[in-house]
Amino acid sequence: MEKAFFDQDNNDNSLDRVDGRLKVTGAATYAAEYQLPNVTHAVLVTSTIAKGRITSLDSKLAEQAPGVLAVISHVNSPGVPAYGSSPAMPQRATLGTPLRVFHDNLIYFSGQPVAVIVADTWQRAEFAASLVKVQYEKEPHQTNLEANLSRAALPANVQRDKNSRYHDYDRGNPEELNTAAVKIEATYKIPTEHHNPLEPHAIIAHWEAPDKLTLYDKTQVIKGTQGNLARAFKLPLENVKVQAKFIGGAFGSGIRVWPHVMAATLAAKKVQRPVKLVLPRELMFTSVGSRPETIQHITMGATKDGKLTTITHEAVAHTSTYEEHTERTILATRMLYDCPHVSTRYRLVNLDVNTPTWMRGPGEVTGVYALESAMDELAYALQMDPLELRRRNHADSDPEKNLPWSSKSLKECYAKGAAHFGWHKRNPEPRSMRQGQMLVGYGMASSTFGVHRNYAKSRAVFQADGKVIVQSATSDIGPGTGTAMTRIAADTLSLSPAFIRFDLGESTLPDAPGQTGSTTVSSVGSAVKVACEALKQKLLQLAVNTPNSTLYNTNPADLSVEQGRIFKTGNPATGVTYTEILKQNNLPQLEVTEESKPGAEWQKYSMSAFGAHFVEVHVNPTTGEVRVKRVVTCAGVGKVINHKTARSQSIGGVVGGIGMALTEESVMDHRFGRYVTGDFANYHVPVHVDIPPIDVFFIDEHDPHVNPVGAKGLGEIAIVGVAAAVANAVFQATGKRIRDLPITPDKLI
Amino acid sequence: MARNKKTDGVDESTEPGSFAPNKARRTFLKKSSALVALALTPPPVLKAAEMEDQVTAAFEKVKITLHVNGTRHKLAVEPRVTLLDLLREDLKLTGTKKGCDYGQCGACTVHVDGKRVLSCLSLAVMQNGRKITTIEGLADGEKLHPLQEAFIKHDGLQCGYCTPGQIMSAVACIREGQAGSEPEIREYMSGNICRCGAYPNIVNAIMEVNQSGQKV
Amino acid sequence: MNQFQYIQPAKQKAAIDALTKDAKAMFIAGGTNLLDLMKRGLAAPEKLVDINKLPLKKIEFNNNGLRIGALALNSEVAQDKLVREKQPLLVQALEAGASGQLRNMATMGGNILQRTRCPYFYDIALPCNKREPGSGCGALAGFNRMHAIFGFSDKCIAVHPSDMSVALAALDATVVVAGPQGERQILFTDLHRLPGDQPEKDTILERNELILAIDIPDKPFAQKVHYLKARDRASYAFALVSVAAALATDKNIITAARIAMGGVAHKPWRLFEAEKFLEGKPVSEANFRSAAELAMQGAKAFNHNAYKLKLAPNSIAAALKAAAGIA
Repeated sequence: MEKAFFDQDNNDNSLDRVDGRLKVTGAATYAAEYQLPNVTHAVLVTSTIAKGRITSLDSKLAEQAPGVLAVISHVNSPGVPAYGSSPAMPQRATLGTPLRVFHDNLIYFSGQPVAVIVADTWQRAEFAASLVKVQYEKEPHQTNLEANLSRAALPANVQRDKNSRYHDYDRGNPEELNTAAVKIEATYKIPTEHHNPLEPHAIIAHWEAPDKLTLYDKTQVIKGTQGNLARAFKLPLENVKVQAKFIGGAFGSGIRVWPHVMAATLAAKKVQRPVKLVLPRELMFTSVGSRPETIQHITMGATKDGKLTTITHEAVAHTSTYEEHTERTILATRMLYDCPHVSTRYRLVNLDVNTPTWMRGPGEVTGVYALESAMDELAYALQMDPLELRRRNHADSDPEKNLPWSSKSLKECYAKGAAHFGWHKRNPEPRSMRQGQMLVGYGMASSTFGVHRNYAKSRAVFQADGKVIVQSATSDIGPGTGTAMTRIAADTLSLSPAFIRFDLGESTLPDAPGQTGSTTVSSVGSAVKVACEALKQKLLQLAVNTPNSTLYNTNPADLSVEQGRIFKTGNPATGVTYTEILKQNNLPQLEVTEESKPGAEWQKYSMSAFGAHFVEVHVNPTTGEVRVKRVVTCAGVGKVINHKTARSQSIGGVVGGIGMALTEESVMDHRFGRYVTGDFANYHVPVHVDIPPIDVFFIDEHDPHVNPVGAKGLGEIAIVGVAAAVANAVFQATGKRIRDLPITPDKLI
Repeated sequence: MARNKKTDGVDESTEPGSFAPNKARRTFLKKSSALVALALTPPPVLKAAEMEDQVTAAFEKVKITLHVNGTRHKLAVEPRVTLLDLLREDLKLTGTKKGCDYGQCGACTVHVDGKRVLSCLSLAVMQNGRKITTIEGLADGEKLHPLQEAFIKHDGLQCGYCTPGQIMSAVACIREGQAGSEPEIREYMSGNICRCGAYPNIVNAIMEVNQSGQKV
Repeated sequence: MNQFQYIQPAKQKAAIDALTKDAKAMFIAGGTNLLDLMKRGLAAPEKLVDINKLPLKKIEFNNNGLRIGALALNSEVAQDKLVREKQPLLVQALEAGASGQLRNMATMGGNILQRTRCPYFYDIALPCNKREPGSGCGALAGFNRMHAIFGFSDKCIAVHPSDMSVALAALDATVVVAGPQGERQILFTDLHRLPGDQPEKDTILERNELILAIDIPDKPFAQKVHYLKARDRASYAFALVSVAAALATDKNIITAARIAMGGVAHKPWRLFEAEKFLEGKPVSEANFRSAAELAMQGAKAFNHNAYKLKLAPNSIAAALKAAAGIA
């Protein structure tokens, strides 16, 4: 059994995605695809100004248009009971009042929902939406981060929380920079980026009774959405049901309850029929958050032999005027390298835009881009190999928390990645490597992401037919949650995965945290493991207590299990199957529910995943076009549950990082406070031909401290550092250090 | 929807319909609608909508026949309904996905008379008489199509939302003879965006099926 | 999208008459751009005249050259043996555009008539003289990274987005159009307009004129060709700058040159001066560079597209080199 758990170099042992068949046949049902009788269709009308108030909203024509059932706005909203008391729905790490939908006539950003049309068909709702006439009294807006840097401030939610990690941080004496033998200083910019999952956000809201609400929603946080809606509409928790069995990607856009969810819920209340609302692609840019735009300033000092002495890191990000979104941008700088003098500053500027949110690798991906670009600059200043510089500054323990790592294999990642990539063939001299006309560059970067873990519950039911149903109210935005859980359950119970069915995606299932921060396996996986272990113990106990069993009165410690068959260790002939035990005891099924939560280990160890990316780019000197030609990515992420899906997750992270490095940028025209890149033709995510072969390696880590499963999480670290590795490769290819992403041809030519 | 005209950041609340699209829409309402005349008579909106249905059925819908996954459908559709919306909303074939609705992502790819097209940029009325194949029509009963098998084997999917479009496109790519090498596959599959980043696995799946010589 | 009537005439005359009679009627062929426009409220026809029944799909070759029916699909043309043999530049340009699916839907005529992809044109909350004459040009002082460096006006700085059109402009193509008064031939380079004071008009066609075919003459420069497209991602993206280059040479002397650029103007931008400069000169990188610099005279950049002043000449020289087969 243990062998099966540690098979990361053995592809063949991996499970195929358990829901693969449903997905390749089109049978997987996403939020908008539930067939509800009497369903109606909703379309949002959104503001065209960034700040001000609605002076009139004329919906007469729309109301009279064919098929229209209702037009709902602040004028006639049935209202959200909790809106009376502010803040209505406070959320962790976000201080402020979530946008109160159709509550009043105030406009906070361009694209804010001001009305929703409900009609019998989508076409009719969509046409009617074009007939609504909204007039505004406009106020001057501010949407430009750079132009508002003077307003950068420590977030109010940090000021109120003395334990916050975003306070100004100083270790040692950052003034030491002045005496450093070698120094660099640089400013890095990352534009606003949008998650843009392929499935647009969608919801069907259905009031089954005046006090009973069911939502089919694209959410990463099923229980959280349930709780939020229950609080908002002052309903008992059990009266709100949330279903999200298939989610067409999210990358963070599905963590919060966004205004369109409230709009659909209000609309359904008004028309007393199920309401389906699917965001058109252009509203995906203003409705479900974004990665915040950031401006980061870094200084580094080092001794002549490449020992870091000082790092200062200041990060400024944008937020909205009604909420503060904070993320871990500067935290990695305190722990990634062994450096005596470190200071970090974190500031926000509020702008007249919608609130940003977590997007894949939130915080770390932003900060590590700057930090790892700066490390490359320092390596050049030192005339030292960038990989060697990182090795010399390896942090053997957490320099911020002064705790040992629970496990760390960054050095092994460097070694394995570099060897496989052929890093030694690199000539560090910029513009020195060519292939035909193309300038060739090699770049690398380290990556890290904190290990996190939340409270989770799981139910495991052994049925008379030999099948085990394992349940938890988690979700799957794409990593393969069901597959990983099936694997954990099967291995824990010593059963073939074919006998396991994992249920997720429903609020009626046992509590699970949201699929956020790479915590699903660490949290839900732990609960599944604990539940399945308890189930197994119960079965063993039953076996030794069953008088007519061959195992009667055996000490459970002397028993082994293989393929669902219990036997005396060393004597497989004496066995009995799980199913036989149930039969012998006349039991229709055996059920356990267990919970799992973090404990004291978090005080004893610092827990993080680490990795390294190696990238080769070719730059066309004629056009400035950059193409990534190959990538080697290596990470130590604790136990890899299912190699096949884990490898895919790593590849996906690299693809996201390539997009971040080379193409992704949401441009706003500040005169209007509107995005001018609001579709897939203008917001460029990588396509097939942008992505080369990607080699993925995992370092085998046995970490008994992180959680019962031993997994650190993978989804986020997969993208962290990729953009820096690409940018560093571009520098070596061209001699040009582009410090504002994305590195588009115009910046290189 | 945006309705205000603006010049250099100054918001002028405009006279409604001061530019072409609006005007066209309003005139249309005025002119073509016996319908709107009905709707304008104020009885409860719901009732007006019902009457509206009948009028629309008589005057606005067009009768078409589509052969979808081997089944003949006789339908009456509004000309403005796209093939994608018809498949998803009317025929309940939700395997074909709406990712952008503007022909910029490929999630809605289906085959029309054997050719891969974007169903979001096709009006259903313009497909009258044609044979449509969607992801639901690809497998042979319980037996998956070789590319469906290969996508599972190579894990050419994560969230699964782009997957039907990727597979329909991949089948066409092989049939078109544009799957001979990895670079060729990448180029000819570039109209199908995968935000999860399953690209390398998808390419492997297509390579394998193409090299196997299986009929697709 | 508004409701509209849908008709599918079988005769050319009926199709043209339908538009003549009804000022709110529009032709639809592939629909890949028109539907996009209708969905965003940029076009609101009350009647769609589906021309797909008209017999305009033929691809044929006679002594004068290649004639391609307006309804031939982009993919059919790109895969056509005759076209591949006679006009490889057109094939390269077609394959550089859009995606496999879109090329299976887009017709030759529709590709020519596709409208700009300027974001201000597409967002009806933003000013755009092309969409709403008199509302102002949003891009002029706005986000204009993709915009024109040649031939713009203070009313509009948008660019024509088609790759195929760039090749046709270079290849001395003509379009055959029919209207109520009969047929006429238009030199491809005369078809698209510069914005001037009427950016709402993309071409010189009347709204009830129908493109029937494209004629590409058989000329000696048809074989030494190259289509270069610089873009933000390696496929499925509009050109930042593109160049269609065609050369005829005799013992290393250029006897004829045809060059057109995309992504730089409101129409495919033919480089007549550069062509003239090259004729009679030897094939050399230096000459190509000089031609490129000549072509750039009069170019002017805005806030975000100054890079095109370098990208364009680089691309011209590179495309010419590739066409000539020199490294």
